[in-house]
Amino acid sequence: MTTLVPVTYKGGVYRHDEIMDLIDDLGGYIVQKHVMAQDVVLQSFVPRDDIEMIRRIAKPLAGEVTEAPLVGTEIAVVSPSLEIHHLPHISCDVAEYLRRSGAKTNMVGLARGFGKRIANLNDEERDVINEHDLAVYALGNFEECIQQKFPVLRREIHVPIVVTGAPDREALMRVIDPPVEGYVGGVGRIMHRFKRPEELAKLDELVDEVSRVLDARRDALAKDPLSVFPPRLMTIIEEQIHEVSMLTHPTPVTAQMEGLRVKLPYDSYADTVRSLEVAEGVTVGDIADVTPSRMRNYILIRIKPFSETRILV
Amino acid sequence: MPPLNYFVVESPDEVGREAYERIVGDVLQDLDLIKVIDRLHIYVDPKVPIFVAVGLLRHMPRAIRIADFANVNRGENEIVLDIGDETYLAPLLQILWAIYGKEHVDQPDRFTVVLPAGVAGDEDLDRLVVADPSETLYKDVIYALQYIAPEGFKVRRQYIREGKFYYVASEDTLPTDIVETAVVPLFEKMGVTL
Repeated sequence: MTTLVPVTYKGGVYRHDEIMDLIDDLGGYIVQKHVMAQDVVLQSFVPRDDIEMIRRIAKPLAGEVTEAPLVGTEIAVVSPSLEIHHLPHISCDVAEYLRRSGAKTNMVGLARGFGKRIANLNDEERDVINEHDLAVYALGNFEECIQQKFPVLRREIHVPIVVTGAPDREALMRVIDPPVEGYVGGVGRIMHRFKRPEELAKLDELVDEVSRVLDARRDALAKDPLSVFPPRLMTIIEEQIHEVSMLTHPTPVTAQMEGLRVKLPYDSYADTVRSLEVAEGVTVGDIADVTPSRMRNYILIRIKPFSETRILV
Repeated sequence: MPPLNYFVVESPDEVGREAYERIVGDVLQDLDLIKVIDRLHIYVDPKVPIFVAVGLLRHMPRAIRIADFANVNRGENEIVLDIGDETYLAPLLQILWAIYGKEHVDQPDRFTVVLPAGVAGDEDLDRLVVADPSETLYKDVIYALQYIAPEGFKVRRQYIREGKFYYVASEDTLPTDIVETAVVPLFEKMGVTL
């Protein structure tokens, strides 16, 4: 079986359809396509052995192919509030940087995530965060506050968590109990845009930390693979349900590591999605749970592992 | 950090203290208050929890008059205002409309305003006060301190009078004697009595 690796293609609009066809022909998947004025960015999965060929073909078009470890993941950036104290810097800078590495990020601004004693997390916030592959918590400056409030902010969160805060990594590891999956110290409440080299280095460190955590999850998944590769199901849904092409969302179908978020109303489309044929005699309903998402009225598809369905598409 | 004459941040948490020093610098720079604040002393302790900021203001900015941003050219039948800086154009037009009536205030382009000559009082036109930045300055200083203080510290007491200001905030109810116990000692450290 060929190994698909996540890559980002950056190039001009001119003849970019040839690259898209090429990726398709090689058996790869395009997870996201952004057209910005003259430029095109494709977040995609391509066979490892064919990367050099894509590079060669893209060269005359001035396109470049880079490895993007976070393609095909949806990450929640959790900010204690949407007040000026926490936005736009840190949360937006973190979200933007993760996006550059290929992730689809969503900002979750908590209604009452501020304060040491008064912080809390409501059920909607909890469920929305749990719908992601990973949550990055952008916390503040004081060790004392992080120690007191973090247990409340992580209550019932099952997805891996990466915490950022002003205390150094060791201090964060000391005050957070039970431990979380990743820590990035030295990033607290910062009131300016990240631009100095040491600040950008912190963002790189965050991307490394997030990729490390997600790689561990990918390794675990490889032991019991999903019944269908999420980008493959994404392509099928985009081909079969033509309403998807009429949505104005930047990512009408968002790929996650273990599922998809389809931005169609659950009530009207859930049955259509469930009965969609993935391969001969196999429908989406056979290999995945199609559930309502807590995010608006979207559909959340959770693909079941092979061990449960005994089907591998 | 800004050229304040005195600037100290105190905190039992060294990492937090440095972070707040940077936050203060960024916020004062963003809100353009560096020239306004002369001295500032901040104490923040998340264990109590308490945030205290005390300080002194520099002299207040003076009122803005027409002569500060426009040339007044008097002709026989009309007065032409040649606008140098558009910042105060909107309040200027409001005032001129009130004096001359909207139909008599002609603005052929962004930087020119034409008025009829001979209206009573127009000899003092260039001294006319258009805006007074000190009116909003108090609000700006308090807003900056709200912005600097940790967000969860919603219970607060603030004061700004005769060039001195303080801002105390906490997550819990503030004790009644907080000014005597927390604010006065900080003013003393700056060598000022409240």
